[in-house]
Amino acid sequence: MSKKWSRRDFLKTSALFSTGALLAACAPAAQPTAQQPAGAATEAPKAAVPSAGVKKIVFSTYVWSNFEAAMTDILNGWKAKTPNVDYEAQFVPQTIDYWAKIQTQVASGTPPDCGMSDYGHLVSYAKNGTLMDITNYIASSKFPIDKSFPGASAQYRWAKGDFDSGAAGGNYYGIPSDAQAQIFAYNKKMFDAAGVAYPTDDWTWDDMLAAAQKITKADQNIWGMEAIPDYILFKGNWVWAAGGAIHSPDFTKSMLADPKTIEAYKWNWDLIYTHKVAPPSGSAGQQNPFMSGQVAMYIEGVWWLTDFANGIKDFDWDVAMLPKHPTTGKRTTTMESDGWWIYQGAKDPDTSWNLLSYMGSPDGQKLFITANDCIPSTYQDVATSWYATKPPDNKSKVLQNINTDSAKVDFTYFEFGTITNAVWPVIDKAFSDGTDITKAMQDADKVMNDELTKAWALLKS
Amino acid sequence: MPSKKASLTGMRRREELTAWLFITPIVLGILIFQFYPTLFSFYISFTQWNLLTPPKWIGFSNFVELFTTDRFFFNTMSNTATYAVWTVIAGLALGLIFAALLNQEIRGKYVYRAIYFVPVVAPTVAVALLWQILYDPNFGVFNALLRMVGIKGPNWLGNTTWALRSVIFEAIWAGLGFTILIFLAGLQGISSEYYEAAEIDGANAVQKFLYITMPLLSPTTFFLLVTGVIGSFQVFDIPYVMTGGGPANATQMVMMYLYNNAFTIQKMGLAAAVAFIVFAVIIILTVINFRLSKRWVFYE
Repeated sequence: MSKKWSRRDFLKTSALFSTGALLAACAPAAQPTAQQPAGAATEAPKAAVPSAGVKKIVFSTYVWSNFEAAMTDILNGWKAKTPNVDYEAQFVPQTIDYWAKIQTQVASGTPPDCGMSDYGHLVSYAKNGTLMDITNYIASSKFPIDKSFPGASAQYRWAKGDFDSGAAGGNYYGIPSDAQAQIFAYNKKMFDAAGVAYPTDDWTWDDMLAAAQKITKADQNIWGMEAIPDYILFKGNWVWAAGGAIHSPDFTKSMLADPKTIEAYKWNWDLIYTHKVAPPSGSAGQQNPFMSGQVAMYIEGVWWLTDFANGIKDFDWDVAMLPKHPTTGKRTTTMESDGWWIYQGAKDPDTSWNLLSYMGSPDGQKLFITANDCIPSTYQDVATSWYATKPPDNKSKVLQNINTDSAKVDFTYFEFGTITNAVWPVIDKAFSDGTDITKAMQDADKVMNDELTKAWALLKS
Repeated sequence: MPSKKASLTGMRRREELTAWLFITPIVLGILIFQFYPTLFSFYISFTQWNLLTPPKWIGFSNFVELFTTDRFFFNTMSNTATYAVWTVIAGLALGLIFAALLNQEIRGKYVYRAIYFVPVVAPTVAVALLWQILYDPNFGVFNALLRMVGIKGPNWLGNTTWALRSVIFEAIWAGLGFTILIFLAGLQGISSEYYEAAEIDGANAVQKFLYITMPLLSPTTFFLLVTGVIGSFQVFDIPYVMTGGGPANATQMVMMYLYNNAFTIQKMGLAAAVAFIVFAVIIILTVINFRLSKRWVFYE
């Protein structure tokens, strides 16, 4: 007679099985086999990989809008064109903290081979040995880095010991994948309703304010413009146009208390509290006020253009060159670039470079346009064809602005994240509560000086 | 034939082994996913670590920095303490009032109870986003209602004075259903004989509430107080979604500060130090609560 399985036996077996499963789940992942010298027999990796001899790399990037679809097309195109290569894509939604994920992967010794770069992390990553110096790859493969916008490629160049990227003699730790500038968008319907002429290339800050005053009907939630967000002000463009600066050129001293810097910030503060043509800063997650038809003029990043083109159906809109400062005549736009880089722990840097040079070349950049990517190329000629597409009708004005007056974004220096974390709240309080912006900038100046001192000490440690 | 004593010892051993087998998965889980990370985090709190290079031992420097030169630590602890005080006290008071009302024999009481519990089961992020829209200074419902009576509503989430109040108000609303549920269970555990006896002695409704309901409900109140304090010091999702800690760090809570230090500016050591300071604060408050409970918590 067979023994009936009791409840206790079932529970005991379940406990044993659960323990085994738990221990198996905690076992370290199988590591890929190390690179063998050419000609040596290669042990086939245990993971499911195509045939032996195929070089598989791990490529990582954050994704948004249709960028994942564009990237997938590009990667498949590379795979089709290049013999014996394969990839594993790690696409991370932009809503998730991508850089926390990357840092965790680096800490655990399992970084991807290559992936999306970030100009803001370049100096700290390069200093800490997280990134591979790819200067030799660029030189030996004659990669046309000198043909990209200077402000774009500068962000991926760093000389050891420098506080900021961009030094002429620095080595390359990445290549730019695009060139992002600021745009000045306007709502034609709101301009027409107020009887105001559309912006021209000769517009100054005063013209913009005058137009905003005519358009604004605050009681109806109709606003002339959105005040420029603080993170864009800190990137530098508006401040530089006024003749100011965020810090001294050698990064030893804050210039937030400089009168011209304060002028640029106050001009924005006045939009909300003096002239009342911009809505007060509200909840963080509300819909883009330009897309919802609340504000007539909007200064933000070029990455919004595709969202505007796809999302705005209720009114006609266009872009113009950034208005000039009434005294200096400058209309500086910042140049910032995402890009690609290779991690120091890459198992196959050669194949990784093969992919980067494919994507980063002018021909590769053209593929992004075909794939309807939303960020324009880092090469003048390729960017020209992107900027020639519509909508909006005058998209090329953004490129014209870049070629007229642009500079590397001021978000690239060492510990800028820590510094801005300390400085922004001091300035934000004035924008949120309407308190004295001049005093806020002076207080922020002291904070920034303290933080720069700490950052220099950390850089030298 | 084995002796009875040997048989009992063998049986006891088998029982013990079986017990260990049953609890091994959870014990392993606790050891691997809680105990070890806690120990490692404690070690990290004495180091300078940016995840990109190996941790560097710096002793108590992180703790010293937090209490001396850190610009934000005391502000975040103050925000968190304010949040904790208001959400716990208001949550308990309102929860008790509503539970007492919902404990009455009224028509549709089960429908009302379900309605009050809906915010508890709704996803926190969705609720926080919804309240962002309600709070919008231009087209939000609250300011629209205030405009109807001629009042210009504040910039609820964009003003440093109002932002924390707005987050607290939402948190009280979101957590009320849970407090009501627990209080209801407590109220229904009070025997009606006490109330009948009190009525015979001439007690009115207020006296019954103060001298019967409150004391007999004290264990429930104590449970909600302790768990409420612990939970409020660990709040992250509501302020993170509603305001991101702004404006100007007016709603930055200590857990968000920990997260920013760890994952935004890569100061894992400082973040770990924050974690242990908060742990110590919560332990101290819990011990205080337990000590004081001897004076006002009555177990039958």
